[in-house]
Formats: sequence, C-alpha cells, structure tokens
Amino acid sequence: MRLQFMLSEIAIGLRRNLSIAVSVMLVTMVSVYLMGIGFLAQGQVDTLKGYWYDRIQVSIFMCGKDSLDANCDGKAVTDEQRDSLRSQLDEMKPLVKNVYFESEQQAFDRFKEQYRNSPLSDYLQVGDIPQNFRVQLNDPKKYDVVVSAFEGAPGVGRVQDQQKTLDKLFTVMNVVTIGSLFLAGLMVLCSILLMATTIRQAAFSRRRETGIMKLVGASNFTIRLPFVMETVLAALTGTGLAIVGLWVTADSLLPKVSAVLQDAPLVGTTDIWFVAPWLVGFMLVVSVLTSWATLRRYLRV
Amino acid sequence: MIRFENVSKVYARSTRPALSDINLEIERGEFVFVVGASGSGKSTLLRLVLKEEGVTQGTVLVAGQEVGSLPHRKVPRLRREIGTVFQDFRLLPNKNVYQNVAFALQVLGRSGHAIRQVVPETLEMVGLEGKEKRLPHELSGGEQQRVAIARAFVNKPPILLCDEPTGNLDPTTSLDIVRLLDRINRTGTTIVMATHDDDIVDQLRKRVVELKNGHIIRDENKGVYGSGS
Ligand SMILES: Nc1ncnc2c1ncn2[C@@H]1O[C@H](COP(=O)(O)OP(=O)(O)O)[C@@H](O)[C@H]1O
Ligand SMILES: [Mg+2]
Repeated sequence: MRLQFMLSEIAIGLRRNLSIAVSVMLVTMVSVYLMGIGFLAQGQVDTLKGYWYDRIQVSIFMCGKDSLDANCDGKAVTDEQRDSLRSQLDEMKPLVKNVYFESEQQAFDRFKEQYRNSPLSDYLQVGDIPQNFRVQLNDPKKYDVVVSAFEGAPGVGRVQDQQKTLDKLFTVMNVVTIGSLFLAGLMVLCSILLMATTIRQAAFSRRRETGIMKLVGASNFTIRLPFVMETVLAALTGTGLAIVGLWVTADSLLPKVSAVLQDAPLVGTTDIWFVAPWLVGFMLVVSVLTSWATLRRYLRV
Repeated sequence: MIRFENVSKVYARSTRPALSDINLEIERGEFVFVVGASGSGKSTLLRLVLKEEGVTQGTVLVAGQEVGSLPHRKVPRLRREIGTVFQDFRLLPNKNVYQNVAFALQVLGRSGHAIRQVVPETLEMVGLEGKEKRLPHELSGGEQQRVAIARAFVNKPPILLCDEPTGNLDPTTSLDIVRLLDRINRTGTTIVMATHDDDIVDQLRKRVVELKNGHIIRDENKGVYGSGS
C-alpha cells in the first residue's frame, strides 16, 4: 500500500474513533508513567545504597552529665574511660578505618548547621548531644562487630549505627518501587484490554472497507496495517507524554528532595533518557502484539 | 477457466447440502447465467470460486489452480484474478465515485500514476464520466451498480462473478447493466452471473446453468430461463 494512501486511511480511522483513541493514549500514558516512576525509584535505591553504604559510620555516644541512658547511671564519661575507648578503637584496625572525635560543642555546631531551617535547632543547647566517636569502617558490612564491642562498655551511653536507619529508608523506597510497578502492571493490563476492545470496535465499524479489501485481493498485511498503526500511534503518543511527565517530575521535584538529603546523588533527567528507550520499546512491542493478536481473531479472510 | 469436479458443500450448521455433486466447466471468455429459485445454491457456487467458503467434497479449479488446497496467504492473489459484483452494490458511502473505484487499486499498492490513468478509463467504459465527484447516495441504483462494476473490473480481472447484480434494479435499468456486462464479456472476460431475472436471461440467450436444491438440473447454450421446470 502506498504511504500517502495508508496515512490518509489512518487519519480517517483515527478521526472516526477519536475518543477511544484518546482513551488508549491516556491509559498508556498513566501506565508508562507509573512504570517509569518504578524504575526511577529502583535506580534511586541502588544509587543511594552505594553512596551511603560507603559513608556508613558507627557513632559511639559517650555519657553526658544529664544522659538518660541506662548504662551511664547518671554519670558523665571520665577522661580515662574516653582514652581507653580511643585505644580500643585504635586496636581494631584494620577493620576500623578512621576515628573522629566530636566534642559537645562540635556536635552542637554541626546540628545547628544541618537543621538551620528547622525550629528544632532553636531549642538545642550545648551538651544535649553528647561527645562521641564517629567510626568509619573499611568494610561497612561488619558494623555489628564494632557495635557489640562497645555497647555497654563503661562510659558509653549509646552506640548508633546508621545502617538501621538507612535500611528503614530503603524499605520505604522499595515499597514505593514495588507498589508503582504493581500499579503499572495493572495499568498495562488495562491498556492491553482497551487496545483489544478498540481494535474490535474499529474492525467492526470498518467492516465495509475491510470486506471490499478482501474481495479485491488486498493482502492480510495491507488490511491489518492501518489498525496496527493506529493503535501503535495512540500508544506511542501516550508513552511520549508519560516521558515528558517523568522529565517534568524529575526536573521539578528532585532538586527539592536533593536539598533535604544533603546532596546525596539522585536520579535525574539523564536517567530518564536512559529508561525512555526501554519504555518506548516495551509499549511498541505490547501494542503491536496486542493489535496483531486481536486482528487475527476478528479480521479473518 | 473455472471447473467444478464432484463438488459438494454442506454448511456447518445445516444438514442439507447447499450444493451436491456439482460438475461444471466454464471456458475462458464465456458468459454463463446461473439460475434457480432462492436457496437453490447460486451464491454458494460463487463463494466456492472465491474461496469465501471451502468445499466439503470435490475440487474447484480456477485458472488451473486448485482452490481447495490453496493456503490462506495465497487467497488474496486468487481474488485479484476475480472481480465481484453484488446485489447490494457494497460501495463505501464516504467516498465518491472516483475514490470508490480507485480504492480497489490503492489497496493493491498500485502507483498513483497508474490509478489516475486507469480509473477514468474504466469510469468512461461503464458510462459514468462526469459523475466522478458524486457520493453513492447521490446516484441512482443503476449508477451505483455501474460504480461497483467499475470497481470490480478496474484491475482487469479475467473473471467477473456477479451475484444477482440486477436484484435491486427496475427492468430497464437491469437490462442496461447486463448489456454492460455483455460488453465487458466481449473484451475476453469470463462472466458468471447468478440471477433469477427471467426477462434478462431470455433476452440475452447465453449459456444457462439451472440449480435446484443444490443440483444442476439443466445446462444449455443459448438457453432461456424457464424451460427446465
Ligand atoms: N452461511 C450459511 N450457513 C448455513 N447455511 C447457508 C449459509 N448460506 C447459505 N446457506 C444455505 O444454503 C442453501 C443455498 O443458499 P444460497 O447459495 O445462498 O442460495 P441462492 O443464492 O441460490 O439463494 C440455502 O438452503 C441456504 O439456507
Ligand atoms: Mg444468493
């Protein structure tokens, strides 16, 4: 079939079924958008895991004079206790990579700086955050060795490892990933069913044309191609809009998240150019297969 | 050109055969009337030639090819050899006369150049020059049937099958249409026309094949409609 003739037939078909073509487009858009969000969230988890696991620290908070921790028994850490903790840590090399000491004043300053926009910092006083050792590990996965060695040691109030906090965050993000991919799956199913219905209806409303095509000996390919092209066109328009939506989301939302997360690396608009071809390819395959399978059933010779 | 050898056809949801043990040979360039009462099997005969239906028994040969064993993907090629005209015209209501005829070539991938040349020729041949821009509903029944004939013939098929082409037309118009078919026949096209229009059959004096309950009960040259019953 000549291109120009085929294009005009497709245009006629789309105009005749405009509302249903638009609904195919919208449903595809939502499903691709959700799928994209799912992939981006997954990518984000992976990026952050790598980033944070490398920086993971174990904080050993010593007893302050007002510490409520049971191990402190209301007494502040003594200089001897602190020195012995320090030498114990030094002995744990090479598991321990670096040890930083943070005084009460330094801890106070850091908190003030981190939460400068939060009213929380107004109520904080020097001493509220006890002096502590921040321990950086060569193998972040072995944090529990350090934790168990220092928990309950004299002068130690609390040992905190960031792993737990991070794992909670990652769990939340995994739920987001799985949830959006699950919803995306449902929406893809919806779009497949909708495409099939659309084609059935289009085949019915154009049975005169297809009847004549069969009669004069047009090939199956020629008869089916306009239907497939219309479906693919609607689906790919929806996919295109979804990608624009993902881009806008990444472009406007992520910088805000980034500010909260203190410049941790985030997925960004470049990652969208990476997932976009997959989304387009996926929808192309889905729409071609769906329409071809439907046509096999409803447009027989 | 068309040969039926011991052909029977029983439709899926029926017990009585629509055609039974048909033997028929139609030569290249012949004009054959297939006559018989409604339900006698005329349309079924034509559908078997087009492979719109498969045979239950026997073989149908069209232009030397056995239709029954033809694979699905080769059916379109068979149909390009056969033009078809129906009682109800089957024109596309949104396309004008020219577009309706051109459609048959466009879907076969013919070039725009060839289409612009052959469509006006064909329209002139069927007597529709000057009416290219009309839509089907702006034409009389006879004119609509001419458009359908032009569409069936525009690809110059060697065979033209007509299933009661005059069934919706008044006697004078009917005769004009059959005269047109006769002219097409003289260009060498084989024509098989199913009809129960006795006037026309009697006037044209062509070969007549009469069906009754799926059997051929008469096959005579220069026949008339009624002599067999
Ligand atoms: N699609 C079909 N399914 C079942 N029976 C059919 C079908 N088409 C035709 N028949 C039956 O086959 C017989 C011949 O029909 P047909 O060929 O249409 O006759 P005619 O064209 O001479 O009126 C009739 O008894 C009719 O009821
Ligand atoms: Mg009939």
